[in-house]
Formats: sequence, C-alpha cells, structure tokens
Amino acid sequence: MGGARGVPVAGRTMTDARALETGVAPAADPGAPGRSLWHRLEPTILGTTSIVVLLVVWELLPRLITVSAGTKLFFTTPSQIAGTLWRLFATGSIWTPLGVSASGFALGLSLSIVVGLPLGVLIGRSRTLNAMLDPFITAFNATPRLVFLPLLMLWFGLGLEMKVVIVFIGALFPILINTYEGVRNADKTLINVVRSFGASEWDIARLVVVPNAMPYIVAGLRLAIGRAVLGVVVAEFFGSESGLGVMMVQAAGRYQVDVVFSGLIVFAVLSLAMTAMVQVLESRLTRWRPQRAGEE
Amino acid sequence: MLDEAAPRQSFTDKHRKVLLGLLAVAIFLAAWQAVFLVVPFNKLFVSKPDLIWDALVKLIASGDLIRDLAISAVPFVYGFGAAVVVGVALGIVMGWRERVSYALDPIMTIFYASPLVALAPLVIVFFGVGVSGKAIIIFVLSVFPFIFNAQAGVRAVDRLLINVVRSMGGTERDLYLKVIVPSVLPYIVAGARIAVGRGLIGILVGEFFAASEGIGYAIARFGDLFALDRMFACIFAIMVIAVVLTEGIRWAERAAFPWRAGQ
Amino acid sequence: MPAYISGRNVNLTFRPPNRGPVRALQNFDIDIGEGEFLSIVGPSGCGKSTFLNVLLGLIKPDSGDIRMDGKPLAGPGTDRAMVFQEFGLLPWRTVQANVELGLELKGMGGDARRKLSQPLIEMIGLSGFEGHFPHELSGGMKQRVGLARALATDPNVLLMDEPFAALDAQTRDLMQVELLRIWQTAKKTVLFVTHQIEEAIYLSDRVMVMTKRPGRAKKIFKIDLPRPRDYEMRVTPEFNKLKLQIWNELKDEITV
Repeated sequence: MGGARGVPVAGRTMTDARALETGVAPAADPGAPGRSLWHRLEPTILGTTSIVVLLVVWELLPRLITVSAGTKLFFTTPSQIAGTLWRLFATGSIWTPLGVSASGFALGLSLSIVVGLPLGVLIGRSRTLNAMLDPFITAFNATPRLVFLPLLMLWFGLGLEMKVVIVFIGALFPILINTYEGVRNADKTLINVVRSFGASEWDIARLVVVPNAMPYIVAGLRLAIGRAVLGVVVAEFFGSESGLGVMMVQAAGRYQVDVVFSGLIVFAVLSLAMTAMVQVLESRLTRWRPQRAGEE
Repeated sequence: MLDEAAPRQSFTDKHRKVLLGLLAVAIFLAAWQAVFLVVPFNKLFVSKPDLIWDALVKLIASGDLIRDLAISAVPFVYGFGAAVVVGVALGIVMGWRERVSYALDPIMTIFYASPLVALAPLVIVFFGVGVSGKAIIIFVLSVFPFIFNAQAGVRAVDRLLINVVRSMGGTERDLYLKVIVPSVLPYIVAGARIAVGRGLIGILVGEFFAASEGIGYAIARFGDLFALDRMFACIFAIMVIAVVLTEGIRWAERAAFPWRAGQ
Repeated sequence: MPAYISGRNVNLTFRPPNRGPVRALQNFDIDIGEGEFLSIVGPSGCGKSTFLNVLLGLIKPDSGDIRMDGKPLAGPGTDRAMVFQEFGLLPWRTVQANVELGLELKGMGGDARRKLSQPLIEMIGLSGFEGHFPHELSGGMKQRVGLARALATDPNVLLMDEPFAALDAQTRDLMQVELLRIWQTAKKTVLFVTHQIEEAIYLSDRVMVMTKRPGRAKKIFKIDLPRPRDYEMRVTPEFNKLKLQIWNELKDEITV
C-alpha cells in the first residue's frame, strides 16, 4: 500500500523510501466500491475540513490572542495573502520576476534531462563506466548541491547562467540515478525473449530496456521538479538580480510577510502543476501497468 | 551451491568495481592538476588539488575548520532531533489512525510541494541568525521524510504477523517488540538518510543568509575573498561529511536490518 | 530414425563474475527425431534449461557439436521458438502485439502480421482479448499467449522450459491437453523441460532423465502409451509403472 506514492525504485541509491520523497500521498485506497457514501467521501471531507479549519484559525488568530507590536510585523492572514496575490497578478507586477524564475527553471531542468537520460542509459548498460562514475555520483548525490552556490556565483555571475547551472546540478541526479536503475532492472528473461527472435541491440533497447525504464524515469522526473524549484529559490535568494525569489527576499527585508507568502504559494502551485503534468504523462506512458496493485 | 571447488579468484577480479572507482578518482585528480600545465592558472578563479590540499591541512591545523563545523553542528543536532521526535510521532499516528491521515495528508502534501526553503528569510528575520533560526529551518526541511516514512512503515506492518504473535499468546509488549518496531524501524532509518541531506541544506541556507560563523558562512566568506583553495577545502569537508552520514546510515541499515537486503 | 536435432559431447561452463566457475553440461549427448515430443526431467540446476538456451542459440557451448537438420547451429533463428516458464510477455504490449513480436522482428508489415496472429489468438481461445495487457490476464491465459507467440513464426522446433510450472494444478492439466492437441495438428518437434514426472510421461514419446550437475543424459525411457492420450490414462498400471521407474532413476540425483 505504501508503494502508492511512487514507483518503487530499489537498489543502490534509490530505495523505496527515497521514492516516498515524491510526496504525492493518496492514503489507503478508500474508493473501493460497496462502501457507503460517507465512507467513500470521508477522506475528501476530512481533508478539506482540516484545511478550512487551518485557514480559519489562522485568519482569526489576531482576534483571539493579543499579538505584541513586534510580532505583528511578522504576521499576516490568509485574506491579506489572497489580496496581495490578487494585486500582484492584477497589476501584472509579478509577471517579470515569474518569467525570470520560470526560464531558469525550464532551462536547467531541460538540460538535466538532456544530460541525465543518455548518461543513465550508458552507465546502466556498461559495468565499467558504472564502476568508474560511481564514486562521483555517490559523492555529489549525498552532498547538498547548495555548497557550490558561492563558487557558481563566482564563475557565472548573478544572471541566468548561474541559475540554470544550480537547477541543472540539482535536478540531474534524480533523473540520472532513476534512469540507471530502470535500465539495470530490465528483465533478463524479456531480453532473452526478444533475442531469441533475432533482435539486435537496438531492438532490445527499443522493445525492452526503454519501456521498462519509463516508470523509473518519470518518478525521477517528479523528484527532479522538486529539486529544480529548490534550485531556483536558493539561487535567487543568494545570488540573483531578479526573479520571484529575489522579490521574496526583498519583501522579507521590508517585513512584507504577505508578499513572501504569495511568492511561496506561486512556487508551490508551479511545482504542484508540474507534478500533475508529469502524472498525466505517467498514466499515458504506463497504461500497461496494473493500477496500484502491481507493487508487491 | 557450487559443486566444484571454486578456484581462488584474483584480487583484481574480486575488487574490480572498487579499483575502477579509485582509478577514476585518481585520473580525475591528476587531470585537474595537469590541465593547468597547459591552461593559464588564475587562483582568483579556479584552484587545483595540491593547493586545496594545503589549504585543508592549514584549516585543520589552525582549528578553524573544526570550530566552524562544531558551530554548525549545534543547530543541526537540535533541528534534526526535533524532526525525529515530531516526525516519527506524527507519522505513526497518521499510519495507525486512518482518519488522522485523511485529515492531514492533503496539508502535508501541500507543505511538501512548497519549497519551504522560501520561508528561510522570514525565519531568519524573525528568529535571528543564531542557533534557533538555523535549527528551525533544519527542522522544517528534515521533518517530512520522517513523517512520510513512519506512516508508510506503520501501514506496511503485516497484519498476518500480528495475528501470528497473538495466536501464540503474545502480549501487547511482544506485539510491539517483535512485530511493529522491527517493521517500522527500517522505514524510519531510511527516512533519516533522506532527512540528513535536507538538514544539510538547512544549515547552508541558514548560514549563507546572514550568519557570522559556521561552515556555510566560511564557504560564502572564502568566496567573497576569492580564496578558492580554502573554499574548495570547505566544500570538500562538507562532501566528506555528507557521504559519511548517508553511507553510514546505509551501512547501518544493512547491518541492522539484513532481512531487508535487496530491497 | 535419423535425428532431426543432435547434440554430441556438449560442454559448457559458466564463469560468473565474483564467483567460481560452474560446470553446467558435461559430455551431454542428445538425439531428437523430427516431430518427436521429448521431455527432459532432472534435478534442479542440472543444466536442462541451459541446454534449451543453447539450442535456442542464446548461449554458445564451450565445445561439442550441435546440429539441426544436418546443419550446425548458429545463433537464434526463426526455425526454433521458446515458451518460457515465467511467460516472458512484454508487459507494455497487448496480447496481439505480444503474439506478433517475432513477426515484427522479422520485418513483416502490420496487415500481414494480423493475418497470421488472428487465427492463432482464436486457436488459443483468446478472441476478444487482443487489446488486453498481460497484467489483465490469468496465468493460464498468459501462457497461451506465450504459446501463440512461439507458434506465430511457424518454427519447426518448440522449446518449452517448464512452461506450466507457474500455473495451478488444474490449469496445468488443461494446458497439457491443449498442448497435445496443438502438437498433433501443428506437427512440431517439441523439447519439453519439466520437474513433473507425470507431466513428462503424459505428454512425451520419450523421457530423458538427467544427472545432477554437471548434467549428462542418464537414461531414456520410451513411452509406448497410445495416442491420443486422455486423462484416464494417468491412473493405469502401465502409467504408474513408468512413473515409478523414472522416479527410481531420478531420486539418486536429487539432494535436498
């Protein structure tokens, strides 16, 4: 049941637990037919209720307790945040920083796919290459890529290049490692099956290795999206001249807490939307997989 | 299994993977060092292994590196410790009580999808650049793997095994010690492995921002000073710590839960 | 009887990385007549499946002479096809696309493939399931697809590697009947590897007992039961006598 969160990616660097990092978390399957209406709706109702309660309590908090003047500077309410979000979009002042952030995100993520996929296939197929690159992959994957930020600022300046590079090194490893795992876990029997029909190496890749790796790659992509967003945020916090993150840091300095939360919400919506897109892609690409049940 | 005496394998065959890895690292370092025989060397822009090594030795000898690490370790221990306690407790309740998980899953998903790092400026402005601000950032970043994994671990407890132990007359205590803890613990330890990386991000974010000491501050400062050899030395130190922590936990997982090998 | 497939002095040793070598086949001899149904029984790991893979052309033996229809064996070919124990269906392909796999790899166009696959899918009783994915099928249905896929390229030889081992007992009985029916109409040479003595006797013209590893032919039993065979035959004294004889040969080779 726990496997419902993502593809179980086992082995060297990706354990089942790492796959949980995708974090999209439908609980135990409640939609089983035959249960009463309340039972089927219970998760939705409870989930919605808790969010509503949270928002209402947050909204009413300043009226329930007296907040000191100092703390008040740091306090905002959901209605204020909603108003600020509305204003940001209505005046159009959010589009420029959002565009800057989005282009860093898109370029870095694309670059990580372009590099990570072929490299993952290569080390999945070659034992020697795998053995040689393993120390580097282990070391870089364990280290928060953030340590390279000051170095990258020095090398690439405070512009788009630096952002693209930090997003790239953040998103590269989930894609690389998952592709590798997917390629390596290709079923030997299936390879033998197609070989027994006279298949070439190319046929083996086309008919067995790549389709088998697909769910792993998509799971890696989901992880990569989270890392890419993180990369954009930190790059803009510490070393950029423009972007959504810059807007947030400046707002924090001016105690405009509602603007900080607005930025956070925009980032969250972006990454949820991207994740949802990947999930659509996933269900398209993996129609052949048993729904949920397949993960023993 | 083997019905013939297996002839002794040569050393190179047996350790092929490790040797190839070491070889690759050696080639990488040699190439890095050698490339500046051809390319002009600008120490304000790049560094090379021998200089980095010298810087590392000096930083260790002067005690600076150790002091910075020790300073960064304090908020890490607080933040990470709180994440273990809160995350595991919350995760277990969410795994055990279906209703609680219905109520909290959507919120958790939203929190988890938000780049919570983005709240760091606020936390720093509010709590200051001391231990508490950093510890809170570390806690916020590293608590989720514990919640999700503890929840998954509880859900994965085999009800059949509970019935087996009950049917043999096991008490509640037996149930916990013999079934539940051994099932859940591997998940939590695996969660710790993920959380370590996120906690390290927390330290760096906190210290890049506005700290006056600590390893993250050291890296940022050496960057500002164009002291690339010392900056690389600090980066290397963090790499070593990160690898030791994650691989150490991985090793502990294999040693403590051998039945999970191969998963 | 001139042998359609003959193996002489076949030797094969595996040399897996990080472990010692394993001798799988030693001086292995075999003769199979054209259109014959030959079963091989032997202890686990005796090399019987390995030999099927050698015949299929996936593994090259270290030494020995293997001929088919008088010609030495060279690599995989469409004159042989394998039915695998774990079915070996590509999970991302529908029933039809799985059946057509070999035809597709031969470069045959879509329409031509359909003409060949349609009657086969009908024959295995899966009409209406063409668009289903393997995970939507039962074990018995999956293995029917595996069988149809092997027959699609119209091979002369069917190699079957414990094809029914993953099925429950009743499905297995039904699949055996089905296999005999197909074998009798399609006139293939069949080499059938199994653990079950009863299955081997029921299906085969001859049953070969192999030694434990490194595998050699220990003894060959001719099964003179009349054909077509039916289920009642399994409780006759002749059948049980054969079963006991084969078991007596086999049991010395088995270590628990």
